[in-house]
Amino acid sequence: MAQFDSQWMNAWQDDVNEDSTLPMIGRYFTTDFLLGFGDKEYRVSVREGRIERITDNLSIETPWTFALRAPVESWERFTQKVPPPMYNDIWAMAHPLHGRLQMDGNVKIMWQNIRALTWMLARMREVPDHAVVEERATRV
Amino acid sequence: MSATHEPITGRYVHVPYGGYEYRVFYEEAGEGIPLVCLHTAGTDSREYRHQLCDPDINGDFRVIALDLPRHGKSIPPVGFEREEYRLTAKFYSEFVMAFCEALELEKPVIMGSSMGGNICLHLALNFEERVRALIAIEACDHSPGWYISWLEHPHVHGGEACATSIFGLMAPQSPEDYRWETWWYYSQGGPGIFRGDLHFYSVDHDFRELNDKITGNVPIYFMTGVYDFACTPEMTEKTAEKVKGSECIIMEEIGHFPMCENPETFKKYLMPVLDKVKATERETARA
Repeated sequence: MAQFDSQWMNAWQDDVNEDSTLPMIGRYFTTDFLLGFGDKEYRVSVREGRIERITDNLSIETPWTFALRAPVESWERFTQKVPPPMYNDIWAMAHPLHGRLQMDGNVKIMWQNIRALTWMLARMREVPDHAVVEERATRV
Repeated sequence: MSATHEPITGRYVHVPYGGYEYRVFYEEAGEGIPLVCLHTAGTDSREYRHQLCDPDINGDFRVIALDLPRHGKSIPPVGFEREEYRLTAKFYSEFVMAFCEALELEKPVIMGSSMGGNICLHLALNFEERVRALIAIEACDHSPGWYISWLEHPHVHGGEACATSIFGLMAPQSPEDYRWETWWYYSQGGPGIFRGDLHFYSVDHDFRELNDKITGNVPIYFMTGVYDFACTPEMTEKTAEKVKGSECIIMEEIGHFPMCENPETFKKYLMPVLDKVKATERETARA
């Protein structure tokens, strides 16, 4: 199971930044958004479709545009190689019928970049298993 | 070397409805029992290209897939630029029957998905004497939550946002090329059309108090995929329990667009339904 700790976030950042499609579909995707895995929150700073920086230890002075917050169990299902029904997509999880993910803040920016954002989040399914992630240095 | 042609023929027919003559595009293939296919919200008849081309289907059925006005190649009525498009159950159900009448189809089978599935309930209630059977794919009596402004907001790219909003409705097991093809169809809808259709899907279609008014004289086959988060299997099952003459089929490893996201898996579930339609036809002929 994914731990959603610093190493895991760094591994995801690497996968995103190595992706060959995001520079094309994410050309205009530049914002700072918040990802919440239960109590653990990170700010993801995206510049032109690449993740420039991931920040933890957030304070009320850490600005972000929109936030995606969900219980760890929701993200664990979302990040499986073959995610189960109702957990395979952020809009599936956030849909009013289901409520397994909360979308907050300036969601207009989210909808403006929804294609690149969902592509970026789908890369979470490619993060290597925990043993590999553990060996990495933490940048967050 | 001869060119590879598909058996589909595309044509335009003029459909009179409400004092206006709509120019409607449809595709068809095969001969036999008329099988009219209704596309999902915000897209067009291309969703049925696999069923149109399948000899196991078009051998016994005249498969017809139309583009509703404002969709695909069916142009909007004159003056559309001055109106806010909001699809209603009344227009949708009556227009489908007007199309069938224009083509002089005798008691067609009507198969639709998503909003095309939901409209089957209205057809069963109001036009049971004019249809042979209804195949309601991804349908239920109430499907709220989709009438959202971002899908037509001028600050948001309509093509990308509409298409991406439906991508997760498809199962991860469905072939990637077909899922992206469905995304592509959705990226091509006219501005505000997807949301206008969703007015029917999530607002005007509230059939909860009407389920038990369906007589059961026309067979209704509900078919829902397990990855459909807009109309879950549970929502379909609850509706089917209340609708007389219905059968409920839950499809594994497929989502909201069975006919185009995974035609092979869908076929496994669809053929037994079509066999039942044919069996009923034979019984009727004998009687």
